[in-house]
Amino acid sequence: MTTEELKSLKVNKSVDARGTSCPGPLLAAKKAMGEIKSGDILEVLSADEGTKKDIPKWATKKKHEYLGTVEESGYFKIYVKKG
Amino acid sequence: MEENKKMCMVLFSGSIDKLTAAGVILSGAVADDMDVDIYVLLQGARAFRKDIADDPKKLNMAENVELKEEFLKSLENLKVKTWLEFFREAKSLANVKVHICGLAGKVWGADKVSDFVDITDDIVGIGECITAAQESDVHLFI
Repeated sequence: MTTEELKSLKVNKSVDARGTSCPGPLLAAKKAMGEIKSGDILEVLSADEGTKKDIPKWATKKKHEYLGTVEESGYFKIYVKKG
Repeated sequence: MEENKKMCMVLFSGSIDKLTAAGVILSGAVADDMDVDIYVLLQGARAFRKDIADDPKKLNMAENVELKEEFLKSLENLKVKTWLEFFREAKSLANVKVHICGLAGKVWGADKVSDFVDITDDIVGIGECITAAQESDVHLFI
C-alpha cells in the first residue's frame, strides 16, 4: 500500500507505544490484537527502531496481514490487518 | 487447533542484567504464543526469594559490574520494565510456569513455594527440567 493509502485507512484500534522500548511495542500489539476482530485494522505508534522489523515479521507469522509503515517525525505508524 | 510451541528456559543466573535479558526474551516468546517453562537453578533461586526479587540493591551484575547504576538508570530512562515486571506480564498473557529447583532453594535458605516471589508455581527436581528440555522446541540456558 502507498503512504497515502495507509494514511486514509479506517483504523479500528490504535495503540500508542511510543513511551516504551522493545519488547513494549510488540507486546502492546499482541494485547491489542486480542481486543479486535478478524479483518479489523490495528495501528501501532512506536519510536523504537527495532519494532519496524519486529512487528511486520510477527504479524506475518501470526497470519495477520502487514499493510505497511508510515514515517512521522520522530516515530512511525505500523498498520496490521487481523487475520 | 495448532499446538503452541514450547520453550524451556533454564535460568541459572541471578544477576540483574541477565534476568532483564531473560525477561525480554520471555516477552518475545509470549508475543509468539509460546508456552514457557522456566527452571530456576542455583544463582537464579536467590533472585526469586521474595525478600530479594524486587530489590535491585540486592542483585548484582554478571558483566560490567562497576556500571550497575548506569545500567539501571538507563533502563529507567528508557522506561524498560524491571525483570520481575517482565515475568509478571508474561505470566498474565500466556502459559508461563516458574519452577524452582529444590536444591537451589535450600542453598539460599528457602524450601517452600511461599519463600519465593508470587510468580513461582512450584518446587521441582532436575528430572522435570530435563524432561521439559527434551520436549521443548526451544531450549535456552541463561
